[in-house]
Amino acid sequence: MTIDQGTAGGSAPPSLIPAHTMALVGSLLRGPVTAEITAKEAQRYAQAVGDLNPVYFDEAAARAAGHDGLVAPPTFVQYALVQGRPIEETRTDGLFKGDIPLELAVQRTMFGGEEWDFLAPVLVGDRITAETRLASLDQKEGSKGPFVRITRETTYRNQSGDVVARTRQIGIAR
Amino acid sequence: MQLFIDDVAVGQELPVVVRNASRVQLFMYSAATWNPHRIHYDVDYARFEGHPDVIVHGPLQGAWLSQYVTDWAGPQGRILGLSWQNRASALPELDYEFRGRVTAIEGDVVSLDVWEQTPEGAVLMPGQATVRLPTRS
Repeated sequence: MTIDQGTAGGSAPPSLIPAHTMALVGSLLRGPVTAEITAKEAQRYAQAVGDLNPVYFDEAAARAAGHDGLVAPPTFVQYALVQGRPIEETRTDGLFKGDIPLELAVQRTMFGGEEWDFLAPVLVGDRITAETRLASLDQKEGSKGPFVRITRETTYRNQSGDVVARTRQIGIAR
Repeated sequence: MQLFIDDVAVGQELPVVVRNASRVQLFMYSAATWNPHRIHYDVDYARFEGHPDVIVHGPLQGAWLSQYVTDWAGPQGRILGLSWQNRASALPELDYEFRGRVTAIEGDVVSLDVWEQTPEGAVLMPGQATVRLPTRS
């Protein structure tokens, strides 16, 4: 069972979220960064997923499906925006060191899930600009003790300024 | 084959699709997404972190879920929203089932419960999706 902090009676559990970290909620964590959607990268992603939908590989098939050109797989856009970094900037676990580390009184952070809004298909040749904000930090009480639910929201806009996708990535820190 | 809105009814179940990631696929997905996390290719390191083996990327399973929905909806369908929760890790070289059910229809937009489970029925990744389907002319 999970209950929200503060809804139970008695003394509140110690906070895992320092005040200076809580103050970052709403702030920009990354971006704006801009990248062009290329057929090669989108197709490598589709092949790695095992999704050989013709709308990602065959322009005639994409147009027959009602698109204005080759489409990228819906979840690809976040990887199109990943910037290359030197190996020297990785940690022991292989991950790149954080741009702005979130200081929390926890041992580890795990990937908890994602929520996507797809407002328009992303096409090969689009120039996409992404901005990521810290949407929320919520301390919860779980069966294995307290944890923090971290929500980072990224907004993707195309070259016309239209929002084409939004994603909320959930991290679980305990 | 194209699915149309009048082919769909609330309560209808989607066909089951089985996915099974090879170790090569995990490596290719790490490469294609520029993800250097060792738990996806270094068994010794994955065990050091308490995993039984290298583990399947959470977002790869999310991409499978997206594909499950877009394959069902057909080329004229449009995925409008997708969410999922990664509850437990998935391992390579094991079968996982993708399943789904229609929960609501409003106009030409269909809401689905979609999820990934073990063949024994343990749900690893519950999710929801919305798709717009074409109308038969």
